[in-house]
Amino acid sequence: MFFIAEEKLHILLTRLTDDYQVCVPRKKNGKLHQTRFPDGGGDYTLDEVRSCEPAKIFFFRAREKVADGFGAGPPPPPPKPACITGVKACDLKSLEVQDYVFLTDEYTDPFYKRARDSNLIISADCTQALDTCFCMALGVNPFPEKDFDINLSKMEDGYVVETGSAKGERVVKDNEHLFSPADPSQVKTREETRKRVQSQVRININEYRIPQEGDWKGWKPIKFAYAFWNQDAKNCVECGACNTVCPTCHCFLLFDQGAGKKTSRMRVWDSCLIKDFARVAGGANPRPELWMRLRNRFEKKFDFFPKVLGINACTGCGRCIAACPAKIDIRSVLGRLAANAH
Amino acid sequence: MGKIALKDIYLPETATAVAIRQLTPTEKCFEFKLDSGKSLGHMPGQFAEISLFGIGEAPISISSPPHGEPTFEMGIRQVGSLTGALHRLSVGDKIGVRGPYGTTFPVTTAMKGKDILFVCAGIGMIPLRSAIKYVLSHRKEYGKIHILSGTRTPAFRLFSDELEQWGKVDGVRLLETVDQPDDGWKGNVGVITTLFSKISFDPKNTVALIVGPPVMYKFALLELRKLEMSYANVYVSLERKMKCGVGKCGHCQINGLYACQDGPVFRYSDIAETREAI
Repeated sequence: MFFIAEEKLHILLTRLTDDYQVCVPRKKNGKLHQTRFPDGGGDYTLDEVRSCEPAKIFFFRAREKVADGFGAGPPPPPPKPACITGVKACDLKSLEVQDYVFLTDEYTDPFYKRARDSNLIISADCTQALDTCFCMALGVNPFPEKDFDINLSKMEDGYVVETGSAKGERVVKDNEHLFSPADPSQVKTREETRKRVQSQVRININEYRIPQEGDWKGWKPIKFAYAFWNQDAKNCVECGACNTVCPTCHCFLLFDQGAGKKTSRMRVWDSCLIKDFARVAGGANPRPELWMRLRNRFEKKFDFFPKVLGINACTGCGRCIAACPAKIDIRSVLGRLAANAH
Repeated sequence: MGKIALKDIYLPETATAVAIRQLTPTEKCFEFKLDSGKSLGHMPGQFAEISLFGIGEAPISISSPPHGEPTFEMGIRQVGSLTGALHRLSVGDKIGVRGPYGTTFPVTTAMKGKDILFVCAGIGMIPLRSAIKYVLSHRKEYGKIHILSGTRTPAFRLFSDELEQWGKVDGVRLLETVDQPDDGWKGNVGVITTLFSKISFDPKNTVALIVGPPVMYKFALLELRKLEMSYANVYVSLERKMKCGVGKCGHCQINGLYACQDGPVFRYSDIAETREAI
């Protein structure tokens, strides 16, 4: 493990802009948002908590051109791949779901793959927990353990650096004058911080009585499904905010824009809660009622993905809790699901 | 970064409309020819994403059997903006094609050597026509064939000229019905399930293919069950919003299944317990 001082990290990030579009979390109105670097200088915050935007925005973009004109071939790649920084463990976990959807079958998504293959991920430990954080209930620790190139753990005047891939090791090697070996006391501080944040997340989990992943026996049939789901569906306004901020939600719509030779096919994020999501042209709708669509959202996360991928498609990031105007709380849904399974 | 080596799965190839004929007041049959000169390479039951650039794209069943030529046929009902625009096409106009996608009727597997029961309700005739024509052109590989066809009125009979030809093939029994007859109609009147009592088949040695509007499935399946047909020998094709066709976009998800990849053709026993399937 290495140590990098705050000002030297700034030099490193500036260097990386030669090869990457570097993005850093910055605070705006007290919340962290992904922003471009170096615009705005060094006032970024790599530690603390997850940013408002989920990590998928870098690979499965909210709005992306996927085909250009008739037979003109795929659109060109962006000038530089992304270097994303300050990514937290919950978002790294979500990439397992996104990778499964976009990479692992005969139809590989070329845009996602291009972005994933070329990116550099500089993750970071959480040094705080929001009151909506419950990652540990889903088996995710509040510090990255895998799937990063470089991980940073905040110290008073810099970061303890751990490499997690050959790509990350190369970055450290190419810039070795910026790093020094980590001091055992710094590694100890890292462990203490990690334990402190873990205990904060554990307090959240206890306070909201969120079931632990291992304790609940998966999805079981629900006897009075309407009553079970309508207590939330009656408040839902079908805004799709939960889908938008969710790091694992992957549904999208394809649509064409423009006319004649200037047409392009766009891919935009879609929301499974919107009435027309599954409706076919003839008018038939497999999920005509909102409670059915709400059930489907949770069923996909806690039944579909456990079946096809072996993991829950929820990482406990808590973004949907914060985003929902109807105060639908995935923690209480999980509690009810667990109670139903017993 | 260099050029992407991977295929753009969202980019259609182009095809040209080479023949268009009106089938009914709301359906036309289009014959398209891939500009690449290659065959689409589909099997009965599969679909392709058809697009008009600038308007949109939709999954559409392939109505013709595989024949190795670069042409294929699609019966298309005018229901929305894309199908509306397709209905305004003229011969020589271009479309976009992605596919073929999805599962197929088991013409080369479970259906081989068996008696076949086709239940074509309304627009369900369109995907089933591919299988019917495949079976008729490999007549010796199958046993007795029953084709049941039901439409709203005689004017909505799809491929009516071909129906008569099919009925004349040796060992093929064709039965038709309409919900509402017109003055000239001399055949059966009633929903498609009223035809089940008019045929006799060996439920142990028959494979049934059923396609039609959602409401029909429940009744047709119930009738087949009464006739002691095992659901393991029944195949259905489900209509869903298969937006991307390649198992990514999530629109056609039915619980743990994606209609575009795990379907659209399902063995009914595999989905009988799946909520929202039928």
